[in-house]
Amino acid sequence: MGRSSKDKRDIYYRLAKEEGWRARSAFKLLQLDEEFSLFTGVNRAVDLCAAPGSWSQVLSRKLRGHGEKCEGGEEVKIVAVDLQAMAPLPGVTQIQGDITKVSTAEEIVRHFEGQPADLVVCDGAPDVTGLHDVDEYIQAQLLLAALNITTHVLKPGGTFVAKIFRGKDVTLLYSQLKIFFGGVTCAKPRSSRNSSIEAFVVCQNYHPPEGYVPNMSNPLLDHSYDVDFNQLEGPNRIIVPFLACGDLSAFDSDRTYPLQLDAGKEYQYTPPTQPPISPPYQQACHLRKNNLLSKEDSPSSLGPRQSGDQAQAD
Amino acid sequence: PGEGPVLTVYSLQPVPKACTSVPVLQQHRIHGTRSRVSTTISRPNSSTLQPNSYDLAVFGGKTVRLVRLHLDVSAVKLAHLEISRPPVELQDWILDIRWLREDKQSLLCVAVAHNGALLLDISSGNALAHCSCLEGCLLYSALLVVHKSWADTVLIGGTVFNQLVLWKPGGEASHNRAPVERRLLGHTGVIFSISYLQEKGWLASASDDRSVRVWAIGALGGCGGNCGDLKPTCLRVLFGHQARVFSVCLSPRRVFSAGEDGACLIWDGAGGGTVLRALKGHRAGGIRALAVSPGRDDTGRWVATGGADGGVRLWKVEDDEEEDTVTKTITDLEFSGRGVPKVVCVVEGEAHNTKWSQCRILVCTDQGFVYQYGNGHWELLWRGSPEFQSYCVMETVAVRLKDSISKANLCAVGSLSGVLKVFPISHPQNEIALQSCSGKIHSLIWQQCDQYVYLLASAAEGQVYRWCIDVRFNEMGTVSLRVKCCPAFVLPTCSKRWLTAAVRLPSKSKGALWVCGDRRGSLLLFQEDLDRRGEEEATDCMQANIKGHETDGALQEKEIPEEHKDLTLSPLSCLFGVHGKQGVTSVCEYQGLLYSTGRDGCVRIFRVGEGPLQLEVLRVQRACKGMEWLERSLIESPGDDKKGSTIENKGTEARFVIFGFHASQFVVWDPVKLERLLAVPCGGGHRSWSFWPVHTGVWPGYGALVFIKQGSVLASERPLESTSVSARTWNEGWSLREGIHGRGIGCVCRLGRIWVPNDSTANRAETPGPVRVQIEGQWEIIVTGGEDTSLTVLAVHPNSGSVTVLSIITDHISSVRTVVALTHQDRLKLTSQSQSLSALVISASGRAQLQCYRLQIGWNKRRLAPFCQVVQVAGHRLDEHWERKRNRHKMVKMDPETRYMSMAVVDDNSDAVLVALACSDGAVRLFSVSEVKRQIHLLWETFYHQRCVLSVATCSLKAGKGHRYVLLFSAATDGKIAVWDLTQAASGSSCDAPTPPNPCLSIAAHQSGVNSLAVWPHTQGPLDGGCLVTVSSGGDDGQLMVSTIRVDFLEDRLRTVGVTQDQPQSHLGLHLLSQLSFPSAHAAPVTALKLLRPGLIVTASCDQRVCLWELCSTSINHRGVLCSHVADAAGLAVWEEPVVEDGRTADLGQTLYEYNLYDYYY
Ligand SMILES: C[S@@+](CC[C@H](N)C(=O)[O-])C[C@H]1O[C@@H](n2cnc3c(N)ncnc32)[C@H](O)[C@@H]1O
Repeated sequence: MGRSSKDKRDIYYRLAKEEGWRARSAFKLLQLDEEFSLFTGVNRAVDLCAAPGSWSQVLSRKLRGHGEKCEGGEEVKIVAVDLQAMAPLPGVTQIQGDITKVSTAEEIVRHFEGQPADLVVCDGAPDVTGLHDVDEYIQAQLLLAALNITTHVLKPGGTFVAKIFRGKDVTLLYSQLKIFFGGVTCAKPRSSRNSSIEAFVVCQNYHPPEGYVPNMSNPLLDHSYDVDFNQLEGPNRIIVPFLACGDLSAFDSDRTYPLQLDAGKEYQYTPPTQPPISPPYQQACHLRKNNLLSKEDSPSSLGPRQSGDQAQAD
Repeated sequence: PGEGPVLTVYSLQPVPKACTSVPVLQQHRIHGTRSRVSTTISRPNSSTLQPNSYDLAVFGGKTVRLVRLHLDVSAVKLAHLEISRPPVELQDWILDIRWLREDKQSLLCVAVAHNGALLLDISSGNALAHCSCLEGCLLYSALLVVHKSWADTVLIGGTVFNQLVLWKPGGEASHNRAPVERRLLGHTGVIFSISYLQEKGWLASASDDRSVRVWAIGALGGCGGNCGDLKPTCLRVLFGHQARVFSVCLSPRRVFSAGEDGACLIWDGAGGGTVLRALKGHRAGGIRALAVSPGRDDTGRWVATGGADGGVRLWKVEDDEEEDTVTKTITDLEFSGRGVPKVVCVVEGEAHNTKWSQCRILVCTDQGFVYQYGNGHWELLWRGSPEFQSYCVMETVAVRLKDSISKANLCAVGSLSGVLKVFPISHPQNEIALQSCSGKIHSLIWQQCDQYVYLLASAAEGQVYRWCIDVRFNEMGTVSLRVKCCPAFVLPTCSKRWLTAAVRLPSKSKGALWVCGDRRGSLLLFQEDLDRRGEEEATDCMQANIKGHETDGALQEKEIPEEHKDLTLSPLSCLFGVHGKQGVTSVCEYQGLLYSTGRDGCVRIFRVGEGPLQLEVLRVQRACKGMEWLERSLIESPGDDKKGSTIENKGTEARFVIFGFHASQFVVWDPVKLERLLAVPCGGGHRSWSFWPVHTGVWPGYGALVFIKQGSVLASERPLESTSVSARTWNEGWSLREGIHGRGIGCVCRLGRIWVPNDSTANRAETPGPVRVQIEGQWEIIVTGGEDTSLTVLAVHPNSGSVTVLSIITDHISSVRTVVALTHQDRLKLTSQSQSLSALVISASGRAQLQCYRLQIGWNKRRLAPFCQVVQVAGHRLDEHWERKRNRHKMVKMDPETRYMSMAVVDDNSDAVLVALACSDGAVRLFSVSEVKRQIHLLWETFYHQRCVLSVATCSLKAGKGHRYVLLFSAATDGKIAVWDLTQAASGSSCDAPTPPNPCLSIAAHQSGVNSLAVWPHTQGPLDGGCLVTVSSGGDDGQLMVSTIRVDFLEDRLRTVGVTQDQPQSHLGLHLLSQLSFPSAHAAPVTALKLLRPGLIVTASCDQRVCLWELCSTSINHRGVLCSHVADAAGLAVWEEPVVEDGRTADLGQTLYEYNLYDYYY
């Protein structure tokens, strides 16, 4: 398969490259915005699980326009957080860290002390382990960690948008979100594949229950709620409206398109906008490329210590 | 091991097999089990205590459950599992569980995902203590080091942030929060698995960064709750996996690791960190689970691996396998003769079932000398005349002697100038010359047939000379040969015109047939002259009786009898070049079927047609990817094969393995298990090699390879090894449970069932072993298509739950998403108890590929198992189709990466099946599949939807006067359903005018994609000249929609009015009458929807519910739900059982089978 193969199979992958987005996910946020006008009046935003950074790109372009400040003259602030390192973006503050970790959450909160955020977005997803129950669980934990951070930084009336896997316990998550938000919608942008269980919860009008005090050391866990929400029998009870977002005339993410999209324009291959920065498999791939992986029939000569490896006492 | 929620116990002695299994965790998957001895009894005749029952803590998700395993410690081991208590549900995800040692109660230490731990009394379900780490974060893995007390317990967590954190949940922490004691940094990815070896104080971790790290941590836990060294060091970084490492286990001398690449690597833990062995055998998807038994001095260790394919494998590993790397087992036989070895052959000993050490090896050199290797020495056997220098072909054969139990070995050598000599290896001086060939002898082929042995020599100009040789012991105790010359074969004219393979099929009526293969890749059929003159009797041909006392090198010219001189035979049937330009490499025959291999990577299974004598290919079997150079196939022929049983199985395909070269290795590939049975790193394709298979009771594929490499004669087994080939070296593991599909299953289709009467198991009563596998009753036959691009035919025995893989078909090049079957069984009554089943199966996949097969399912009485014969009918690929068109019409090449998403049978008439395909490029395509013509044709395509078409369904309507209408429904990602009138296409009249019709109706049904459709007509419609049709659809939006359409038969009306129509327009009037919807039928996408019977629907969804719905004219009623552990149900096959089985849907008993489809696309 040639390098254009993915361009054929995934129109949004191709469009993202052609339009300069770091990931095809950018279109998901743009299409959600089409439906919900997410960015109206937003100056301060948090992008959780942001790498490689296409949502941050969208935020940066939408909030900052072409200058440092928005129309109202207010300071624009965008904080992006991810486990992975991310190439810098203008006007975006980066934190490299685990959003489920208390210390990372505290660091984010510090950025918004005094002035809460208008919007929190989270596109977090585990690096798929292939075990669906585990993936779904971890994804739910990312969402809850994001919600927990949100309760610390979001202004009342603010919006929270997060990726959600529509799996076995999804109604449990809905029920928790409904506690904090006036309106919860399950939205599926047309750029998200039909075949994927991924969707986005758009949670509007933040108003925590009366007397709720955000607590960092005792984060929200999915277990703190009545298991009754997760009824095994009977049709599901928690009804969250479903909304498909994006124009029907937009490209179809499931369709395979010919490389030549319109007769007038010759197809040209575009390389990816921003390759990942030091992914986990970097060293392994380097070793493989140089035929240095240990094999049955070739004794490897890897020394006991790799540079950069260290162990320390705490 | 657990699979889904089911726990199974296997016993390993004397032979590994499954004992017992129970479902434990309902809708959770099992992630682990931990055992402890609960009771012991004293062994008979011994004072030692032996456990007879174990407590198992089985956990998965947030649930843990106690299961007791009872063992019967008598001669035969019997086990049974007892579940007494309900599962205990915790508030957090469980990562590890350990029994508190020497505890008389039932206390468990539990590590949970939010970096916490608790002490759980499993009998009451109460948490006695709990603690979390001050480092609040999510863990991907955790390990508890537990000794006698909770206070001393140590937890090591693998964080998403690439660190290992060590802390003490039972310490004197304040507010149930404990600090991190040690931190291990170095991994660059998430940590999936942790193992600790107390003896050495080592910790090992496996990571997303594809490495395993071994740390010298020191003593952990125990009295005082040690936290190990203050500054632990990283001893080793082991890079060897090609993908993520999911699991790691330590033993005193070894590190075991397993991962996404499907390999379990055994590392030399103490030494230089090298890979000693790679255990492979799982299908795509990788290894998830790994367990290593504690070592015992005598038996070695067991390694068990559980794959994403659902398979469980077992391997035996010796601790002292220092030399077990594959390279070290290659032995140089240190050829010491004159010249350079050119050709090598293994010669079996004279006795039946010889051992490897009794085999001899023959080598022919560039000097034209033949040397023999035996007992560690080389000796000169035969000295060729000068014409054998620089070029020589050699072939040997073992001939069973007529009136003797022993065998004689003959050797034939041929030269560049056509000189051909044959000599008995025991008496090389008794050589005879068969001189009649003109020009270079390209190849020699021996073929043994009952009493005679044939020699074929392929010489210049496609001439294949043949001799029939009668071999006997003469009075002098030496071997004597009588030779008769047979008419030559002439190969079809082509370049590289010589013979590479031949097999003789004895036939009483037609004269013997020969099936041959040539270097040009053709398969040929020859018939020996019917004129039986001299056919059978070699005695009336020229005498070639050489007596032992005749002089050395006596050369007897054998003249071809005058009347045979110009007599040549041409092929009756020729499949020219079927195996490609690299040629055919072998042909063999077994029970009426022929198996050929070629250097095109294919095995072809074919036969000689029953009508006119010609070759018919039934099926093509590919070896694994990248294995293009196949050398031969070896048929599994069970040793207990009795006469009589062979007749029953005549014409059905046997199990076989494939020999060939894969990159730099000689590989034996099992095409059903999809695994390598043997791999010898010989350096790659060789001109000369010889394989000696172990005969006794071992599945083919174990054996020894001898080959020539750079002038040396090398063997994969030491020739002096007195044992038969050591099973140790080539042991590729036992399969406790067969894997089904490596990755997700994309589609499933039930063919029907076969019945096995009780009496067929009667003769099994004597079979030893306490566990009698139940086999009688019905077997459901199911076809699944997977992301691993294969189609699998399965037999499921619902009574016992056992699943047998009958066949794996590997013609698709991309993920198989949809499969339909046409059987005629279901037209009979459900209760009909047929023992066989025939079905036409059509499958469609990515890369716009269609395949069609005829499957014949039956019961094999000898093996007591169902079998499946696959006949390939036809295949079609859109890109090839467009390529052909382009050449004719100079059209732009179409996008070949179209995926076929769904398929429906439009019509099934005598000469063709019409199928409609939903395509990802936005098209609906109509194909005709002809079994008779073995062809698939694209009839038309329409891009009406302009979006990815996800599903299609059809419906046939009966109108008055015997008229029949056919409707097609297609639905796309925009939530719309289009309805098409395919009556004309179905009637066959418009097949020649391939214009797609316009849709008669378009229905908006869903907000986003329509994943599944089910359609049925109302039987007792109130309408005159029309009827009602219901379309139910399940969408990505979680909605269940039911649309009712009114169909008017305009044509009938027109007819009655007497109007004739000549436009090909629709004669149906369609109107949407009403729509009923259930917006949140599921909390997640509805992935499958099936009609159980009109008005009754089953839906499956990613929310892990399977729901049953009843439709009334005004409402949709939820009638029942099943919670499944399948997180990603993609396909569903439903059928109604005549017996009520399921309590929850009591009035509508049914059995459901669900299969997983994986993958989230982002
Ligand atoms: C689908 S990607 C996000 C793409 C991003 N929205 C964009 O548009 O470029 C998911 C990200 O979640 C991050 N992630 C997963 N687990 C995390 C965690 N515990 N803390 C922070 N980031 C996490 C991954 O590193 C990954 O970059």
